[in-house]
Parts: sequence; structure tokens; C-alpha cells
Amino acid sequence: MANKSKAINWFLHRITGTFLVFLLITHFWVQHYDSQVASISKTVVTQEQTTPEYPNEAQEAVEARFAPGEVDGYYNEDGSVTPYGVVMLRLADPVYAVLWKGFNILFLIVALHHGFYGLNNVLTDYIRNDMGKMVAKTLSWSLALVLLVIGLYSVITAGW
Amino acid sequence: MQLNVEIKRYNPEADDAPHWESYEVPADPLDSALSLLLHVKWHIDGTLSLRKSCAHGICGSDAMQINGENKLACSVLVQDLVDSDGETVRFAPLPSAPVIKDLVIDQSRFFEKYRSVKPWLINDEPAPERERLQSPEEHEMIEDATKCIMCGACTHACPSTWADPDYLGPAAMLKAYRYTFDSRDRGTDERLDVVDSEDGLWKCYTIFNCNQACPKEIDITRWLSALKRKAVTS
Repeated sequence: MANKSKAINWFLHRITGTFLVFLLITHFWVQHYDSQVASISKTVVTQEQTTPEYPNEAQEAVEARFAPGEVDGYYNEDGSVTPYGVVMLRLADPVYAVLWKGFNILFLIVALHHGFYGLNNVLTDYIRNDMGKMVAKTLSWSLALVLLVIGLYSVITAGW
Repeated sequence: MQLNVEIKRYNPEADDAPHWESYEVPADPLDSALSLLLHVKWHIDGTLSLRKSCAHGICGSDAMQINGENKLACSVLVQDLVDSDGETVRFAPLPSAPVIKDLVIDQSRFFEKYRSVKPWLINDEPAPERERLQSPEEHEMIEDATKCIMCGACTHACPSTWADPDYLGPAAMLKAYRYTFDSRDRGTDERLDVVDSEDGLWKCYTIFNCNQACPKEIDITRWLSALKRKAVTS
């Protein structure tokens, strides 16, 4: 009986699962605990009391990028940065933006593969006829593709 | 002690659907669960149908659901099922299996899957003068898997089997492991063709229900994972 091996998808599911552990920890850390990791934009924009330790050119680039009034939506009423603001400042960073965009694109691809492979397993567990399986697979992977395009567009254009 | 024994009865010639019936059964804490059923059959209702043969955990014929868990009726003691007098022990056929009558299930599909993985030694090399030798170390690889008595407790404890009747199931794939990892066997490719399929290895989500159900305490999930690695690297 000749079969197309399903081993590669199962193996990739393990690999993406392992990646997700580290990507999620990093995401959680920089989003909720230490949003200044590899982000000089936030330091400049929030005008911390201490002088930031980075080159003057970088500081000028950030100040040029965020003209007065442009970052209004990034703040809560108490002056703290919104979660949206944290993300946008990181993705607009003159030094580290490429790093974070790369990180987010990797995160996006890995999470989509992992999630939709799992979803397809569930679908093929419960859908018994071949036509139904094919329709479910086509629809779910098409949805993954649409989410990939939207995600890539959002990450690449944000802050630039 | 006196126990309330509930049995899921079904006679396709008379019943529209399975239903529960209760029986008062005298028991000793050191009796097996099977003895409760035999008391019902021999002294209360002779129409009760169940499979049993050796009654010593070897033939694997009396696997059923007891108090919600798949077990061999002959290998579980009353004292491990109830704490005190008057409690209830519930018997049902293995879940998801087609029922022929009462606790007797139709195992034809189960053995069809078993045969599909070619559970025999495949080796076309010329036979040696005496026998195909195997070292103790080589045997150790498969020893745990050789303990399987084909009772079906694992396969019918697996949610993938419940969801997908075509899923090969842990019992059949454990046999595939047992022969694929036998140092004397040369049939790896033929067997991987069967287990590396949509209804095969990849529907094992390592839920460990099979390990929990196995009356021989075989580490089934571990051996299926070894078979998955073999499929990935082959």
C-alpha cells in the first residue's frame, strides 16, 4: 500500500511546539514585564528621567519619527503606555525594528502552522467522509493563508 | 458484604437500546469482579452474556468497563472497586465497540486492524541452520510489548478510537512496534506503510489512556512514540 507519509507534518508540529514555548515566553516578557528590552523608542518617547544609554543618532531618529502629538493614542489617561503603544513603539524602533518584525513573523508562521495542524487533526477525527474531509481541510488551510497575509501585512507595515 | 451490581444489558433481538439492570450480589472483598458477574449469571439471571475463559489475566477475553474504567474483570478485586457494604459496581461493554449482546462486543474490526499491521516475523533471508538468534539486549527493546494479551482495553479507552472508528488503535500499533523493533525482523517498510497513514500513528495524541487501561501495565504510549520516531527517520 503506497502512502504519502504524514510524518513530516507531525514532526513539524513538534518543532513548532518547541519554538512556541520560547516565543511565547519572550512575547510575554517583553509585552508585560520589561517592555524596554531591545527597544529604545519607548525610552525616548516616554521621556524617562534618566538619560538613555544609546547613540545620539538613534535618539534623534526616534524623536524625528514621533513628532509631538503623534503618539497620543499610545498612552492611557494616567500617562502609562498602552499595550498597543508598547507594540507600536517596538515595531517603529530605529535600531531593533527589524529584529522584532522578524520575531513576530516567525511567531506568526509557527503559531499558524501549529494551530491549524491541530485543528485539521480534530476535523479529520470527526468528519468521516472523504469529501467532507477535503472541504474542511481546504477551508481551514485557506483561512490560515488569509490570516498569514493579514498578519504579514500588519507586522511589516506597523511603525514604518 | 452485599453489593449492588449494575450491568448494562442489551439484547438486540428484544431491546431497542441498551439499559441498566441492578442485582444484589453477596461478595467477599478478595473476590474478583468477574465473580460478581458469574454470581449473577449462575444464580440470578442465566441470560446474562459475557466472555471469559482463563479467569487469570492471560487470555484477555473479559476486558470491559468497570466503574467507568476499562479493566479485565478477572484481574481486579472487589476491595479495589468499593469501600463498604451496599456500594455499587457498574459493568458495561468496552466503549465504542459494537455490542453483540450484553457485555460481549464484536471484535472483528479490532482483529482486522491487528492483522493489517502484519503481526508476524517478516524475514526473507535464508534461515540459519538452527534458529535466528537474538541477544538479551535486543530482546529487551521489545520485551514490554510482547506482554500484550490483545484484550482491547487500550484501544477502546482511546479517544481517537471513539472519534474515528477507522483509527488503527494502540493495540494494533503496539504489535507493529513489537515486530518492527524485533532485531530479527526485516519488514519495517511494509509495516510503516500501514501505520504511517491518516488513520495510523499520527492520530495518537499521547493522551496516555492506553497506558492507564492496560492490565499488563505496558508502557504503550512510549513504544508508539518510538514507532513515530522510526517513521520520521525512515
